[in-house]
Amino acid sequence: MMIIRPINANDFTDLCHLAKNTGFGVTSLPDNPDLLQTKIEKAEKAFAEKVDPSHAKYMFVLEDTNSKKIVGVCGIEAQVGLEEVWYNYRISTTVNASIELGVHNQTPTLYLTNDLTGCSEVCSLFLDACYRKNSNGLLLSKSRFLFLADFPEMFSEKVFAEMRGYSDEQGHSPFWEALGKKFFTMEFSRADYLTGVGGKAFIAELMPKYPIYLPFLSKEAQKVVGLVHENTEPARAMLEAEGFNFNGFIDIFDGGPAIEAFVNNIRAVRESFKLHAQVVKNLKDTNGNNQPLYLVSNRAFSNYRVALVSGSSICQDTVDISVELAEQLQIRSGDIVRAVSLREVKR
Amino acid sequence: MLIVRPSTFSDLASIEKLANHNSAKISTLPQQRDKLSEKIDASTRSFAADESMEGKEQFLLVMENSETGEVLGTAGIDRCAGNGQPFYNYRQDELIHSSHQLHVNNHIPVLYMTHELTGKTLFCSLSIDSKYRNTDYFELLSRSRLLLIGLFKERFDEDIIIEIQGVSDEDGGYPFWDSLGRHFFDMDFATADYYSGIKSKTFIAELMPSHPIYVPLLSEEAQTVVGRPNALAEKNCQLLHREGFRVGKHIDIFDGGPTLEAHVNHLNTVKSMQSKSTKVSESTRGGVKYLICNGSFSDFRCVVGQLTDGIGDVIRINQTLAKDLNVSENECITFAAL
Repeated sequence: MMIIRPINANDFTDLCHLAKNTGFGVTSLPDNPDLLQTKIEKAEKAFAEKVDPSHAKYMFVLEDTNSKKIVGVCGIEAQVGLEEVWYNYRISTTVNASIELGVHNQTPTLYLTNDLTGCSEVCSLFLDACYRKNSNGLLLSKSRFLFLADFPEMFSEKVFAEMRGYSDEQGHSPFWEALGKKFFTMEFSRADYLTGVGGKAFIAELMPKYPIYLPFLSKEAQKVVGLVHENTEPARAMLEAEGFNFNGFIDIFDGGPAIEAFVNNIRAVRESFKLHAQVVKNLKDTNGNNQPLYLVSNRAFSNYRVALVSGSSICQDTVDISVELAEQLQIRSGDIVRAVSLREVKR
Repeated sequence: MLIVRPSTFSDLASIEKLANHNSAKISTLPQQRDKLSEKIDASTRSFAADESMEGKEQFLLVMENSETGEVLGTAGIDRCAGNGQPFYNYRQDELIHSSHQLHVNNHIPVLYMTHELTGKTLFCSLSIDSKYRNTDYFELLSRSRLLLIGLFKERFDEDIIIEIQGVSDEDGGYPFWDSLGRHFFDMDFATADYYSGIKSKTFIAELMPSHPIYVPLLSEEAQTVVGRPNALAEKNCQLLHREGFRVGKHIDIFDGGPTLEAHVNHLNTVKSMQSKSTKVSESTRGGVKYLICNGSFSDFRCVVGQLTDGIGDVIRINQTLAKDLNVSENECITFAAL
C-alpha cells in the first residue's frame, strides 16, 4: 500500500539514498546529508507547530507500507522569498519601431524580478525510478493540492512550481553557458548545487541586474528559454492539466519555466469535496474495473495522510475504506475526509 | 596653394564628389545633395552668426586648391554636439560582481547609454582626397579647426570631442553593429548609416535599446573592437593625441569607435599659437613652415606657409600669403608650428 505522510527524522537514511539518485537539476533535493537533515527538521517543525508561513517548508514522503521504505518525496514552501531573496527572470517585450524606416522589431527581454516573493511553491518532487508506475507519481504530486485545499489559510493565494530547465546529456545548460557563466566562472552543476544548499541568493547577487536582451544570448540558449528538461515534460503536462500556466517567469540559471496557478483554480482543489469515511471489512478491491482513482486525505494537519481509493468506493457522501487503509489514514468510521478524482473526470 | 576656408554653395558639387568617394564612412558628411546643401547653408548662416543657428551652429570648412577651385577636403565643427537634439553615446563602465562566500570577484564591463556629451563642441565631417592624406595638408585641414576655436573660444564649448570611426572587417561589416544594433534594426551598418545621414543620428539612436549592455554578452569580435579606432583613422588619432586629446570613456553606439576628448586650453595648438600684426613685403625668403590663419571669423582663412618669426609683435609676410589669407598690412595673423 502506498501512502503519503509528513516526513520525520526516521526517514533520514532513505532520504539521503533518494537524493543520491536525483541527478542535476532537482535543486531542492541536494545530495548533502547535513542539508537534508535541516530540511527534515524544518518540515517536522512546520507540521508540529503551524509556524509562520514565511518559514514553513513542508515535506511529504511516499511510503511503501509493505517494505516500510520511503520511495518518493515532495514539498511545499508556504511563502518563498521572505528569508532569502527569490529571483526569477520575467520575459518581457521591447519594441523598436519607426514607421518612416519600416522598422518594427520586437525583442524578448529578460527582467530580473522578485515577483514571486510571497507565493507558495510546490517543489522537491522526486520518485524512485522503480516506483514510477501505478499512478504513484500523480499521488505524490497531487497529494499536495489536497493539503492546500484542506489548509488554505496556511498558504498564499498563488502557488507555482519551478520546472527543471533544459540541459543536454552531459548536464550542460545552454542557458547557463550563454548567461550565468559569463558573469562568474562556474559550471552549471556547481551553481545548481550551491543553489540547493542555500546559496541561491549569493549566486543571484552575481547575476546581471539589468535587463537582458534575448538576442544577445546564443541561439541554443534562446531556444531553451521556458523549456523543461525532457524528464520533466510529464510533470509539466500534469501541472498544466491541473490549471497551472506559464506566465513568462523563468529560472535565472537554467531558463526553465516557473508555472503558476491560483490555489482555488487548481482542478484538484476546486473539484475536491468532503465526505464521511465508512470503514468496511473485506472491502472488495475493484481497482481492476477501470474505475477512476480518487485521492483521499484525512484532513489532519500534523498527521496528514493521503492515499488512493477506487472510485467504486465512493457513494453519495460516503467513502468505503478498508480496515487496513483506515489504519494507514488514521481514520475511523464517521470521520470527514477530503477526496478528489486523481485525474480530471471527463463528463 | 591650398586654403582652408568656410564652405560656400559653389563647393556643393565638389564636396559631393568627395563625400561619395569616401563611401559610407563619414556619417556626418551626408552623401545626398540636398542634405549637403542644408549643411552648407547651416554653415554659412553659422559663420554669419545668424540668430536662427544660435546654440546649434554647424561649421563646415573646406580645403580648396585656390588655382583650380577644387575642394580636396572638408572639416566640420558642431558648436553643440547633437545640434540641439540629444547626442547619444555609450559610456564604458565597469561593475564588480563579487561574493566573498563564493570566492568570486568579476569585473564586468557595461555600456550605459548616455547624453552627457550633448552640447560639447564636436569635430566632425573630416574627409580628405586620398592623394593628400600623407601630406602636410592633412594636418592643415584637421588643425585649422584648432586655430579657429583657439581664436574664438567664446563661440565654442570649452570641451572638444571627436568621434573616431570604429573597426570594420574586410567585408565592410562592423562587428560591433552586427552584435548590437543589428538585433534591433535588422539592417546592416551601411543602411543604418545611410538613414543616419538622411534623418539624423539622434533619430536612429532613439530607436536603440536604452538598457545598459553587458559587454560579455556581445560576440567576441564585437568585444575586441569596443573603443578601438579603425585603421583608417590611425593617422588622425596620432595627430589628435599629439595635440592633447585623450581617449575618454565614451564610444559610438553604432560602430563602437572611441571618442577623443580635450579641454580647449589643453590643446597644444591653442597653447602655442601666437598672433602678430603683419608687415607685407614684396617677397620673403626662407623661414619655417607654420599653420597660419587670419583673424576673421566669418572669412576665416588658414594655410600652410613659411614664416621667419622673430622677437617683436610684427611679422613679415609676402604678398601671396597676404592675398591667400585675405589680410592687409597691420592686420593680425595667427600661427602655430606645423
